[in-house]
Amino acid sequence: MTTSIEVIVAGVGLFMSDCPNAADWHAQKRSAEPQQPNGARLDRRARGRSSVLTKALAEAYFEAADAAGADLVEVSAVFGSALGEVGTMLGLLNQIWRDREEPSPMAFALSVHNAASGVVSIASKNRGFTTSLGADHDTPAMALMEAMGLIADRGEPVIVACGDEPTPVALVAEDEAWELATFAIALAPVRGDDHGARVRLRGPIRAAPTLAAVEVPPGIARNPQVGLLDLICAVQEGSSGLVALDRGRGGGWCMEVLCANG
Amino acid sequence: MTPTAIAEPVAITGMSLCNALGSSCDEVREALAESETKLGPSSIELPFETQVGAIRVELPALDTELGPWATRVTRIAALLLRNLEDELTRLRQRWRKDRIAVILGTSTAGAETTEAAFRHFLDTDQLPDDYDLWRQHTYGAVLHVVRALTGAQGPGWVASTACTSSAKPLASAQRLINADLVDAAIVGGIDTLCAMTLFGFNSLGALSSKPCRPFAAARDGISIGEGGALLVLERRGRAIAWLDSVGESSDAYHISAPHPRGLGAQLAMRQALARAGCDPSDVDHINAHGTGTRHNDEAEAHAILEVFGDEVPVVSTKGYTGHTLGAAGATEAVLASFALTQGWIPASLGAAPLDEKITIHIATERTTGSFNRVLSNSFAFGGNNVSVLLRSV
Repeated sequence: MTTSIEVIVAGVGLFMSDCPNAADWHAQKRSAEPQQPNGARLDRRARGRSSVLTKALAEAYFEAADAAGADLVEVSAVFGSALGEVGTMLGLLNQIWRDREEPSPMAFALSVHNAASGVVSIASKNRGFTTSLGADHDTPAMALMEAMGLIADRGEPVIVACGDEPTPVALVAEDEAWELATFAIALAPVRGDDHGARVRLRGPIRAAPTLAAVEVPPGIARNPQVGLLDLICAVQEGSSGLVALDRGRGGGWCMEVLCANG
Repeated sequence: MTPTAIAEPVAITGMSLCNALGSSCDEVREALAESETKLGPSSIELPFETQVGAIRVELPALDTELGPWATRVTRIAALLLRNLEDELTRLRQRWRKDRIAVILGTSTAGAETTEAAFRHFLDTDQLPDDYDLWRQHTYGAVLHVVRALTGAQGPGWVASTACTSSAKPLASAQRLINADLVDAAIVGGIDTLCAMTLFGFNSLGALSSKPCRPFAAARDGISIGEGGALLVLERRGRAIAWLDSVGESSDAYHISAPHPRGLGAQLAMRQALARAGCDPSDVDHINAHGTGTRHNDEAEAHAILEVFGDEVPVVSTKGYTGHTLGAAGATEAVLASFALTQGWIPASLGAAPLDEKITIHIATERTTGSFNRVLSNSFAFGGNNVSVLLRSV
């Protein structure tokens, strides 16, 4: 890659079971009891029917959007997940093959990878751009790549929200299992009047990281989206350098963080 | 935000297709010309009647190194790539490998393999020895195989936005090329028949027991199909056709039902036109999403009428192939492009007699003519809408 685009970080968000938002994460506040995402910003029907992943992605998305002061009706959104609604899919397969029942139509409709993208656009009354993608451990990097293309194309903000729900026990070995984690970052184009913006990003590029990964429990460290947490931490701490977006398990994509005081 | 800046067109320098109609562009084109459905009974055990569009050709095996990644999805990918050998050789000669992206779409990914593994698990309490979630189920699996078989080393991801999944990559690739982040991209998508989609659409009451009949008065639902389509996009090159622009929007209305007046669909179509600097009168043919459900076809017809009026000939090709879901966007973009290169559009199979409420021009017969610009629509769960605008060389 010879070209990369520079953008401003306008806000961040996250949801983990021991830390329900990025502000608490930065303040090192952790919950003693596991938290469940409540999807408070989704409409009532969607809230009741959506998966834990969709609600956790919505929590992270709206936190980043609020921090950025984004116009929810207009802002473009890129959602990413390695396994997406795999829990919903297994529930449907249970209904079909184990219980020999007709699957729930609503569960089927919400089993698509873009369930979060859809319910967030509905909740926000946003008729603009939204997408949902996956690339295993490169999902954070490729969601950011898609966002960079959008910003270059449209010159408007984009919110990237990536997450994976706890691994399906039936399909993944115990030592590979991870916990629920979702992360979001609001990006905006660099404009002439914001030279003072605190944090800018450039990339994604293939490079050797210069900033260390943050220490997190193994269940979070194995979540394919954890690279976005490392990026969020660098942003919150004002550290300049290259952040690995895959913790060495993907294609080696990094994001360069450029902090005004870093 | 609706972007209005003109998009820089990109050259489509290769196309490959595989679905119920055949396993190459030539075979599919010949089958379309015959105006016969290739939908038939499902080989998947089902407690209800339906017709499906199954791939009948034997799929290639993957070589030893890629053996662990061998699934129906990746073997369809291998077949599609085999038909693009010359184009891919030229691509590799022209561009640096790390400047060639792979952007695919799928809604099922390896669900068919996971279903088989799940049934084995129910019987034995163990997954099959050769089942590997990362190599057989996930989006990364098909990416890995396409990269390995093409040598592309640029950015790569899989869009999964239900039935717009494989239309999205055309837009993403055009943006990356326009932004000078890559020079070329292999785009498209693949979906396979699996129990979950058949049972799921049946539970929604959306499945027809007979071959689907989009826009017909007697239409009563969709037929599911499987297939794949790949396109080679380049900044410049020996173009078969041009990708002018792509419009993308959301309904913001309902997770599985379209906006009744197709507001999101109108936005996507208008955006595609605006980004190409075109008027509605510049479009000579529309390949509709046209699924065959009462609500979908009515909403889309209303949207087309609002944007284009009632003269442009509209065709749904799902009566031939079935709804290939995550592969539909790329598949139908290629089918629409045939009008540009061959000078004819197929009959909208099963549409006659038409629904009187649908007042757009549904082409119920094969039509010859001069087609300079064509639009292909894809709409999806989540209220996701994509319209792809193609132009002749």
